[in-house]
Amino acid sequence: MTDGSSVRYATPKLGGYVGLTALGLLASLIFARPELALIAVPFAVLLAVGLSLAREPDTRVHVEIDRARVLEGDEVVVEVELDARDYAPRLELLVEVPRGLELVEGKNPVALRLDSGEDRLLELRLRCASWGAYRLGEVHLRASDSAGLLAWERTLDRAAVLRVYPRPEELRELVAPRETQLFTGNRVSRQKGEGLEFADLRPFGAGDRIRRINWRASARRGDLWVNEFHAERNADVILFLDSFADARRGGTGTLDQAIRAAASLSERYLVDKDRVGLINFGGVLNWLRPGTGLLQRYRIVEALLNTEITLSYAWKEIDVLPRGTLPPKALVLALTPLLDDRAISALLDLRARGFDLVIVDVSPLPFVEPEPGEAGELAFRLWKLRREGRRSEYERAGAPVVEWRDGTPLTAILEGVSASRRHPHARA
Amino acid sequence: MLALGAGAAALLACGLALATPPAIVASLAGVGASWSVSAWTRGSGAPGGTVLAAAAIFVAAELAYWSLEQVSVPDEGELVARRAAGLALRGAAALALVSFALAALDLHAGGGVLLEAVGVAATVGLLALVLVLAKAGHQQQ
Repeated sequence: MTDGSSVRYATPKLGGYVGLTALGLLASLIFARPELALIAVPFAVLLAVGLSLAREPDTRVHVEIDRARVLEGDEVVVEVELDARDYAPRLELLVEVPRGLELVEGKNPVALRLDSGEDRLLELRLRCASWGAYRLGEVHLRASDSAGLLAWERTLDRAAVLRVYPRPEELRELVAPRETQLFTGNRVSRQKGEGLEFADLRPFGAGDRIRRINWRASARRGDLWVNEFHAERNADVILFLDSFADARRGGTGTLDQAIRAAASLSERYLVDKDRVGLINFGGVLNWLRPGTGLLQRYRIVEALLNTEITLSYAWKEIDVLPRGTLPPKALVLALTPLLDDRAISALLDLRARGFDLVIVDVSPLPFVEPEPGEAGELAFRLWKLRREGRRSEYERAGAPVVEWRDGTPLTAILEGVSASRRHPHARA
Repeated sequence: MLALGAGAAALLACGLALATPPAIVASLAGVGASWSVSAWTRGSGAPGGTVLAAAAIFVAAELAYWSLEQVSVPDEGELVARRAAGLALRGAAALALVSFALAALDLHAGGGVLLEAVGVAATVGLLALVLVLAKAGHQQQ
């Protein structure tokens, strides 16, 4: 094996054979029984021949992943190319597969034999079961000699980063921001300007273009009137991701759900030419200033991939964020399981500062079970009541809260939020 | 004797099931001891079945350690065939070797100081080899 350092060690077989040989020979001498020495002879000869012929085989390894960026659920192929410079009687090979990736096709680990000068290509097909940034391609090799008495172990760092992006959910409708910004976009602004949506009529003035004249209205009123339109502008949207706490069961949890939602939302808002920013509010505070375009989409997804729960009891308030992070008139869309008081009070603080705030409560209830017994049931009910209380607190502050349970499409939740913002008094 | 042999066989089965190398060594030693005691009860000198018994114990040891390797990483089909052929060859070689050694011992029946000195030297050499290998196992190349 090459590059990196290898560790040579005696296998259990060597120890066992040496022990059996020594035992046979000693017992033969002590009890004066020749048959005991005869039993030890094949072991002794194998030890002598095996050890004299044993040497580390020279094997080169090259690992290649067919893609560096994939979507959750996609499959990647890892090619491991082995180039044997020496005869390798038994070579064990293990490609370390991180959690979150599943082996679909191929053998891992595998034990094989390579002739001198032989090239062998092994293919592993992996399914990317969950999003994340993975280091893939660390290879462990263990070669043993023909007699299986000595072994050489080596770890080869051939790791490349594989980025698995959360698969975006199809969203039919987005929560429309109340305020728009100055740049051109797809949102109908309340301000009048260049656009397609009819706003009002006004008398003709100097400088008005002829094609703006509403001839029907002008004929009725006996004077020239022109159409006015709503300007089409973009909006600023800040995705607020609460990563203080995660309710998790099995392979999924509230943070996974929130990250998938954030990826889907950022993609859709960016398609609509809005500026999207991200605040990752947890034990470690990260943010991305609002931006537009494909590059911003990649920035957001990269930031989401690096999201993890970092336990921290340091008090962080939203005030510590630089001013530019939260542009005025931005819609703040919070994705939170409402489990950590710091995130809860930070959101209330945002609302108090006048931000247009919508809270998607990524419900931890499907991931939590009450402790058995009467006290456990009671504690669970009290906890649920406390959550209800928190939601009421937000609603009193003027921020709509919608509960999103695992399994419900996000688009249905957003449609509910949009309806409640259009008709605030008709909310159930 | 029978109990010793049966116990050794049971220990071998346990050692294989639990993938414990020391149990395999102990069981093989037990099988060898039980066979040797049975030979001793039949009189002095190596009995006729010695060649077969020695080769069988050797093949059993080879198979046991092979099966231990399969616990962690199973061999590819091609490798299994090659190793099976190698094992057959080693079994045959063990038969030939023990036959030769038996013939040699018969020629020098009675042993003597010289033969015992050779035996002691071989044993000491083996123990020295164990020490050297144990030290080398910790060295990184």
